[in-house]
Amino acid sequence: MAGIKDLGVGIGWRSEIDLTVERLPGVDFVEVVAENLHIGHLPESVTLLLERGVPVLPHAVSLSLGGADEVDLHRVEHLGAVAEAVGAPMVSDHVCFVRAGGLDSGHLMPVPRTKDALDVLVANVKLAQRNLPVPLALENVAALLEWPDGELSEGQFLAELVERTDCWLLVDVANLYANARNIGTDPERFLDEIPLERLAYVHVAGGEQHGDIYHDTHAHAVLPEVLDVLDELCSRVAPPGVLLERDDNYPSDTEIASELAAIRAVVDKHRG
Amino acid sequence: MAAPTAATGTRVPPEQIGYLVAGPGRAAETALARLLDAGLVRVSRDGLVSAVHQTELGVSTAVETLILINLRRPARFDAVVRNAAKSTEMRTLHQQLRARRLTRDPRPRLAAWWVFLAIGVVLSLTAFLKPWTLLGAVGFLGAAYWTFGAKPLTRSGRTALKGVTASDRVLAVALEGFRGKVDRQQNVGDLFGLSQSVVKMLPRKRKKPVRRGGGGASDASCGGGCGSSSCGSSGSSCSSGSSSCGGGSSCGGGGGD
Ligand SMILES: [Fe+2]
Repeated sequence: MAGIKDLGVGIGWRSEIDLTVERLPGVDFVEVVAENLHIGHLPESVTLLLERGVPVLPHAVSLSLGGADEVDLHRVEHLGAVAEAVGAPMVSDHVCFVRAGGLDSGHLMPVPRTKDALDVLVANVKLAQRNLPVPLALENVAALLEWPDGELSEGQFLAELVERTDCWLLVDVANLYANARNIGTDPERFLDEIPLERLAYVHVAGGEQHGDIYHDTHAHAVLPEVLDVLDELCSRVAPPGVLLERDDNYPSDTEIASELAAIRAVVDKHRG
Repeated sequence: MAAPTAATGTRVPPEQIGYLVAGPGRAAETALARLLDAGLVRVSRDGLVSAVHQTELGVSTAVETLILINLRRPARFDAVVRNAAKSTEMRTLHQQLRARRLTRDPRPRLAAWWVFLAIGVVLSLTAFLKPWTLLGAVGFLGAAYWTFGAKPLTRSGRTALKGVTASDRVLAVALEGFRGKVDRQQNVGDLFGLSQSVVKMLPRKRKKPVRRGGGGASDASCGGGCGSSSCGSSGSSCSSGSSSCGGGSSCGGGGGD
């Protein structure tokens, strides 16, 4: 895919830390939450980053492509319009559903890993792809539960999704870690099963352990264990990009810079 | 001026200097400036202030603590200043300054204060011929003194401000406010990397006193009241008050001007 090679190391652009993102050293690309942007009125900071030549990738959270409800084409159109406004080479959302029966969960809910659910997901993804001006990447989510009667592992499920839709993968290693902690999945098996040649880029995020549950908060420091999963991924493939997601409790500029440096160190270790 | 960070060792802390110079609004600006200087808060391009997440608070005053507590959710730059200026903590700061006799309750100047003075002088002169008028002279001269009004800053307060310069960016805010300039050309907001659109969220300092019903200490040039009490009622004028409070003539005499 043109333009997706060598994104480097990036960070999720958020309005609260816009000046921080602008002045941080070593931000090669950023990701924006598409739903937070208005066409024709891009934030000044995003415009400035674009002028500097920093790639801006729209990331959606509301397409609900794993849901049985009809895909909301207005949301797809908005995502496409944001991609065109920022000249993005690709867009992304999640392998999940956020709405069902007229209710909005407010969370990225995991999809049952059945053949039927996969058929629905594939149909929705194809519909979205037809209405998007750029390629679509889909991200694995963190789950606190597994639906019963699953027929495929998460890796197999995503591999088949890629095969049938030709979509790209956005692998969130923090979500892999969260699932390993909470529902006992195996990140290495996941990496074995997905087509790594279709890897668009990688997400890294922080979280916190509360009792028996690991919460993928995006509001705490990145755990070394999450970087270990990134390390494992990088030992198999050189990811085109790795992006730090931080959505709340933003630490100092220095702390964010050191998290980016830690990510870069893992990536560079395998480039030698 | 470069953008030096706050120096230590100032005799009166910057927040108190801000209060003495222009009232609670300026003190609130100074507290926010100190937090910015210490990297404890950040401001976004559109003026959203958020606390920098860390394990220790690192605050040094009650007003700073209040600001950080209120920043559990991000808030607009002007709202942060306004809420801090109206806070109980700011009233406590005012009381401390009063207890140290650095400031006092301003007394409004009556427009007719000179009438009392004139009558007092006439009665004083008359006292040479009719000594019993001396009593009236004392009364009228006393009334003239009282109705002349008083500035909020005491002699000690003025002394405390003597020699204070914008030697660092926090003191620059204390003396000039985020909207002010140092060295006549450098925007104070620039010292913190704040755009003009952000600092202009704060109300502009007014050059002329504004007449208000009951006037007195609510003179806008006090920056929302050199005393704390007027802040609550004067709303936006709390912030970025004029430095004329420090040694100027307009404070405390607004109602009749
Ligand atoms: Fe993610």
